[in-house]
Amino acid sequence: MPDIRKIKRKLKKAGFGSIEVSEKLGGVWLRGELDEYEQILECGRLAVDKKTSRGVINDIRLKGYIPAPMRIPSLRDNLYEGRTPDVLVVGGGIVGCAIARELSRYDINVMLAEKEYDIATGQSARNDGMIHAGIDLKPDSIKVKYNMRGNKLYDTLSKELDVPVRKVGQYVLLTKKWHKLLYPVVVLRARKNNIPIRYVCQKELDRKIPKIGYRHGAMFFAGAGIVSPYLMCIALAENAVQNGAEICLNTAVTGIEHKDGRILSVATNRGTIYPKVVVNAAGVFSDVIAEQAGDRHFTIHPRKGVEAILDKKASRITDSVIGRFAMKSSTGKQHTKGGGIVRTIDGNILIGPSAVETPEREDESTTCESLDEVLVKQQGLTGELTRSDIITYFAGTRAATYEEEFIVEKSPVIQNLVQAAGIQSPGITAAPAIAEDIAKFCTEILSETKKIEKKKDFNPIRKGIPCVRELPIEERAALIKKNPDYGVIVCRCEEISKGEILDAIRSPIPATTLDAIKRRVRAGMGRCQGGFCSPVITRMIAEETGVGLLHVTKKGEGSELLTSYTKEVANDNL
Amino acid sequence: MEVVCIVCPNGCLLQAEQTPEGIKVSGNKCKRGAAFAIEELTAPKRSLTTTVATCFKDMPVVPVRTDGEIPKEKIFELMSFLKTLRAERRYKMGEILASDILGTGVNIIVTCDM
Amino acid sequence: MTIYKAAVIGGGPAGLAAALAASKGGKVLLIEREARLGGILKQCVHDGFGVIRFGEKLSGCEYAQRFIDEVRSNKEIDIRLLTYVIGIKKNKTFHITATSSSGIETYEAENLILANGCRERTARQVNIHGTRPAGVMTAGVAQNFVNLLGVLPGKRCVILGSGDIGLIMARRLTLEGAEVLGVYEAKNTPSGLTRNISQCLNDFNIPLHLSATVKRVFGNKRVEAVEICKVTEKMEYIRGTEEILPCDTLIVSVGLIPENELAESLSVEIDPRTRGPVVDQNMQTMQDGVYSVGNALHVHDLVDYVSETAETAGKALLQPAAPRELVKVDAKGFLYLVPQRLDLASIKDSTVFYFRTAVPRKAATLTVRANGQTIYARNYTNLKPPEMEKISIPLKPRTGEKLEFILSDKEV
Repeated sequence: MPDIRKIKRKLKKAGFGSIEVSEKLGGVWLRGELDEYEQILECGRLAVDKKTSRGVINDIRLKGYIPAPMRIPSLRDNLYEGRTPDVLVVGGGIVGCAIARELSRYDINVMLAEKEYDIATGQSARNDGMIHAGIDLKPDSIKVKYNMRGNKLYDTLSKELDVPVRKVGQYVLLTKKWHKLLYPVVVLRARKNNIPIRYVCQKELDRKIPKIGYRHGAMFFAGAGIVSPYLMCIALAENAVQNGAEICLNTAVTGIEHKDGRILSVATNRGTIYPKVVVNAAGVFSDVIAEQAGDRHFTIHPRKGVEAILDKKASRITDSVIGRFAMKSSTGKQHTKGGGIVRTIDGNILIGPSAVETPEREDESTTCESLDEVLVKQQGLTGELTRSDIITYFAGTRAATYEEEFIVEKSPVIQNLVQAAGIQSPGITAAPAIAEDIAKFCTEILSETKKIEKKKDFNPIRKGIPCVRELPIEERAALIKKNPDYGVIVCRCEEISKGEILDAIRSPIPATTLDAIKRRVRAGMGRCQGGFCSPVITRMIAEETGVGLLHVTKKGEGSELLTSYTKEVANDNL
Repeated sequence: MEVVCIVCPNGCLLQAEQTPEGIKVSGNKCKRGAAFAIEELTAPKRSLTTTVATCFKDMPVVPVRTDGEIPKEKIFELMSFLKTLRAERRYKMGEILASDILGTGVNIIVTCDM
Repeated sequence: MTIYKAAVIGGGPAGLAAALAASKGGKVLLIEREARLGGILKQCVHDGFGVIRFGEKLSGCEYAQRFIDEVRSNKEIDIRLLTYVIGIKKNKTFHITATSSSGIETYEAENLILANGCRERTARQVNIHGTRPAGVMTAGVAQNFVNLLGVLPGKRCVILGSGDIGLIMARRLTLEGAEVLGVYEAKNTPSGLTRNISQCLNDFNIPLHLSATVKRVFGNKRVEAVEICKVTEKMEYIRGTEEILPCDTLIVSVGLIPENELAESLSVEIDPRTRGPVVDQNMQTMQDGVYSVGNALHVHDLVDYVSETAETAGKALLQPAAPRELVKVDAKGFLYLVPQRLDLASIKDSTVFYFRTAVPRKAATLTVRANGQTIYARNYTNLKPPEMEKISIPLKPRTGEKLEFILSDKEV
């Protein structure tokens, strides 16, 4: 049980005497109203007590401010009404998709509900794609446990799911001369989790990184790698589908009915579902789902990160990952290493992310100032970074808890609820390992009422869409011979063929929007950002799906690209 | 009165003045400019370039233009009329798709091979 | 296997003209990545093309068609459509590997003419922030939708950029029934031709707002509004001038970037000012046998000059190849000057230069100096950076001579 009086005293001392503190579901419940968002965060941080509390439930309101409600598709039908899956996974990010795949190993019915038009549209597609070495994580944390296991699993996943992963290593630059003195301490820390580490002298660094910003050497972590996080998420989901799982897109959970410690039903915009077990993998909304399910013992305070993508020509900067050495700040406010420079698996340079607390869970907008901050900061690593190389930028919101820790648990309060919540960095790395444990929890719960067996015909192999640009000439020619569409280039910047785009449209989770196609085959991700290929792809989607040009969208309903035909006698063929 | 000449890319700034002898134009680099300014003040005309629907999948619309100029105020009327047309065969560049449109004596010609 | 006299990459106006010129000396290969020849002119249904070359006001489609007809009937030119070059290697000749529905093929050519055109700068490349909804597009994409597919990309449009493409699209969208709320230009002068301001905006009462830009886009799924902000001459936002303008479409026409990825793969030297290759007066790059023409070389205002640079290259490569003797042309006061080198071995009585002034000049003098001595001077009035100038100068530089081109305000 948390020591409520102690936390009350702490808050009062910090000037938050008006805040009501009580115990709830084994956590610390804060209520009241404050003038500034930063004050609310401060209270949340002060209320952390990892030893005796299940977490901080921060319900302090911001005076005169109501955050935007969760965006829910306007679609209303009864497609899933009355369905009774063994497991319903809520959330189609990398955690949810990895869980769906793990569950599809068993002879059970698995459904995954994702409120957006596609999987991997949230933070899973809005991060730097780094497979973390794990050095910056606390040696005994839950994070490091899943990170280290996840890091290893990536090698197998890459082969099974046909998703390229490269263990390129990470340079962590020392920014002060005396940092070198700390090297033995870092080595000890690394040893605890078997993290390979090596000191790199400045001479070697000068050869590796042009116009490097610091002169004190670096630590190199060979275990760090890179992956396309959205492609891995898609691959996991596709393999789950191939093995019988059902992905329900445009399906938002709107309410959960529970009674006597059991979930009875889950209401969605597409009908009420009656699952035996519910998995909460709802990312930045995981506390909202937890509340509906009856076990909210934590709070998500979204942390926004802005990242920029540079032209492939800038890839001379690095072929791996560059970060900077940072001591944990004494205020405890800083929860990021300050981002870095990553050469993505596709050969672009990515810079960022920044880290800004925001009360808005789905605000993925950027500002000039937020991009400048990222650029100026990373220019400190190398003078080779220039603004003119930036081709695009984006933001995402990470699902941070006040404990800054993952929640991977079988709920002690609701018998058929399993939670994978608060998964922020290094969530991409950890997801496959988290999924293993979550699947285990689910089967344990299901085993109470029926015998759960592994599927005999589970197929772990998923074949990706061929990437013609990367193939050796002979293989590429052979492929074109089989299917001439692979010979016709549609996206000229990224050299993506018509065949690849058609593959994406016809894939197990059909990509029928411009952005969904972009995430699967990169068409439109190059330096012209879809200038030349978007009209062509728009037409391909219309032809392939038969929906008509005016119904083709960028990212689901409401994002139609075109508003009307210019002629009254519209061409019936279109 | 000032008029920007749109006859050629030079875009001369023309001064047109009403005098007892008629409209006097200055600022023009060529004769066509003077004629343009006078017309612009008396009965402004424009040529129109646009597209017309076709019945072909590979080319849903085909570029067309007027082969002469029409009164400026008839532009939108002509656009509405063209919305209802449809090219039912493959035309060659320069072929007439519709003749004497809106009684102007001007034809609509196709501007590329279909 | 045929060894072509020249391989032309790109079937737009530059590639078509280059292929025709080069075909007078042997077999020419013309490679085009799209299904139809004509390049971006296919979607330029508006007129104003060819006034200089043909003395007629043609639409872009007609201008292209004239060349296409000639190319199609020319037996010396082999055309490959829907064919995309994936690599070029140089031994003695150029080996061009290309992909198409019929497979991967390699072609051999003595000379290479790069006519790749340009791409458009995007909204995010001019620092527009906010959300990323549908309804934000370049003018070229909007033009493609309207003129090739017959569909409107929006009903209430804001256009950023007063270059000719932006102005032309303002008129085009209005004619087809969309409402153009305004054209915004960050600079304090319009970028497009005066006659386009007149016939595309004024004719339709579309307002032009100078010294104003779009800062942010709002809307999650589809554009709902944009934030307009006034800017100083140095392009800094003026605080407090922000204004939210509801609309469903933002069309950006904010500049073109020559496409030189193939040139770069051949280590062709690029001029940071044109973003195209450094060339001599024959449009030959610093790599022997590689020519650059049209908008890949530098962005032109008029297609007539695009065809001209292409013909210069096409003709030049028919001359017997002699070792080049290159002299650098120093340029001051220009946004850029092309050519950047002169080949003394092939210099003619007069040499054509294309340039843009670095800043607007009411009265200016172009001076050419050889070793500090003025050898040529000419006065100009009303020079503006958006308007390219062409001049033919009689020059006979000698080996080792220092050649300087200076564009300066005229001393009063």
